[in-house]
Amino acid sequence: METYFLKNDDLLKFYERISQEYELYVPVRVKSVLKAGCECRSSLPTDDYSLQKFSKVKKEDIVFSDYRALEPTRAFFARYKEEACEYFENAGSKEKKEKPQALCGIKNCDLFSLKVQDFVFLGGNEVDPLYKARRDSALIIASDCPHFKEVCFCRAFDIDPYPVEGFDFNLSPLNNGYLLDVATPKAKAIAVSLKAILAPATLGQLSGRGAKRESMNLRLDEHLKQYKIPKKETLQDIVLSGYNSGIWTEESRTCVECNGCVFMCDTCHCFLLADDSSSSNSKRFRAWDGCLLKNFTKVAGGGNALRLRFMRLRNRYLKKFDFFISNLGFQACCGCGRCIEVCPGKIDIRRILRKLYEEKHIPAS
Amino acid sequence: MKKNIYQPLKATIEEIIDETSVIKTFRLKPESDFSFSTGQFIELTVPGIGEAPFTPSSDPGVKEKLELTIMNTGEVTSKLHAMRKGDIVGLRGPYGKGYPLDKFKGKDIFIVGGGVGLAPLRSLLFSLFSGIDKYNKVVLRYGSRSPKDIVYKTLLPEWAKMNKVDCLVSVDIGDPSWQGNVGLVTTILGDAPVEVANAVAIVCGPPIMMKFVTLKLLDLGFKPPEIYLSMEKSMSCGLGKCGHCRIGKYYACKDGPVFTYEQLKDIHDIWD
Repeated sequence: METYFLKNDDLLKFYERISQEYELYVPVRVKSVLKAGCECRSSLPTDDYSLQKFSKVKKEDIVFSDYRALEPTRAFFARYKEEACEYFENAGSKEKKEKPQALCGIKNCDLFSLKVQDFVFLGGNEVDPLYKARRDSALIIASDCPHFKEVCFCRAFDIDPYPVEGFDFNLSPLNNGYLLDVATPKAKAIAVSLKAILAPATLGQLSGRGAKRESMNLRLDEHLKQYKIPKKETLQDIVLSGYNSGIWTEESRTCVECNGCVFMCDTCHCFLLADDSSSSNSKRFRAWDGCLLKNFTKVAGGGNALRLRFMRLRNRYLKKFDFFISNLGFQACCGCGRCIEVCPGKIDIRRILRKLYEEKHIPAS
Repeated sequence: MKKNIYQPLKATIEEIIDETSVIKTFRLKPESDFSFSTGQFIELTVPGIGEAPFTPSSDPGVKEKLELTIMNTGEVTSKLHAMRKGDIVGLRGPYGKGYPLDKFKGKDIFIVGGGVGLAPLRSLLFSLFSGIDKYNKVVLRYGSRSPKDIVYKTLLPEWAKMNKVDCLVSVDIGDPSWQGNVGLVTTILGDAPVEVANAVAIVCGPPIMMKFVTLKLLDLGFKPPEIYLSMEKSMSCGLGKCGHCRIGKYYACKDGPVFTYEQLKDIHDIWD
């Protein structure tokens, strides 16, 4: 991997070069209603970022995002609702060609989640064609997190707030510019055409980045101490042993079944195939579904394995921390905290995991 | 054109057979040959309405026709029941793992069905019958709510007459015409001529029936790895992607729908 230095003033040129070939998305600052009040350190940043089309935003609104964006990255690869196929008449007659996407402002938590999404949509016996086309053609411009939100907890699961793999480019802010990692042939081809604005990174710059990353780790670890989030090695054990725990009923009391946690989650992937008969052709849609919705497991005869709210909340944890650990080898949670800040019932995954851990290891006397 | 995993194959309804007042068998002719192994399932499309999962009830040896025995119970099935000969439906699949026939060789095969759960078992029976020499014997115990709810009314007596086949039906509630056993299917399992030590049990029916049959089979001495269960779950994609049919660390669509009790016994609430 080669690393270059890119000056602040040249970042726009970098974006413009990429936008020649790609539909480029860049971070902009947005006002959001999602505000989890920080109970410990009012000094933590509360800005929100959204990834928007470079071609549509005002250039002065483009920022470097200090942490992950509001929307889950998976939305760029499997949309909320989209046509999966037409069938019988006219089937496959119009192959839609999309401009490849370049996503800037992707963080390491997002990259971790993409591993889960890849396992689902590219793994197994069959490949999802829509997802694959977008994933193959996409350019990922990741970046370090110089700050974190109150809800961020990636480090609790040993996910660092800076990417080292899984991207094409990575930007690390440093002094009056950025270190630019060039990781793939696709990225290299672009970097070659930008020789004029890229200078090889010096050892001093690289160690400067190392120091910044280390200091970020320490700050985040310090913040996470109060939450006592169990280590990732214990997650499967505590969700299984806590199956009959009262925690699920207790915690699901404030759940209003909005499914926000699922739809904001970057590792959730469930979908429903639904057919539409309103047009002359029969169309099939693939739409996001979620296990907090009460009909998620309902069968035609009326049976529903997850008929009560606490069962649905528990199911979400079993899927993330039992199913995925068994099948993929790691948990389907990246510590982005999106589910925490979206929840109107203040249901906090950090608290639930801690309670499960304590119930197993420190039983009440 | 690239293969689209969500796209169904066109099939024509060739014949509709009334089994009971709410159950029909649909004979389909797929646009091109369609093969499956017994126990695997398909997703059936009613155009413009949607899909639902079914396990074919026909002989897997036949590639140009496919039969599905379906109860009218939900949105897709009610539309399907209103369809006629010549109408078009769609097929995706086959999906999942079927019955491991190789493991059944030389054994007593104890098949327990309940209600419309006899549909997938009929496909299994056809497979077994076509190679009956490979198995020690086939014992079928079928439970139905009442005599009029029995499916395959003409086939059952024929099977009972076959060599190496033992077939008995029980109904929960009898009527004046019913000469056979009255009681839940679990009441006719104990006396079955099966040598448990050299047998496998295969169960398909409503969850509550499967639960009590499994408990009875364990009582009779069957070991969990020798009990095969067909798990009913809401399966949307059939490909292990959509997430609806999780059972513990498994997906019913990909790892099942046929599971051994050994695979499931340590998972909570499997009968729900």
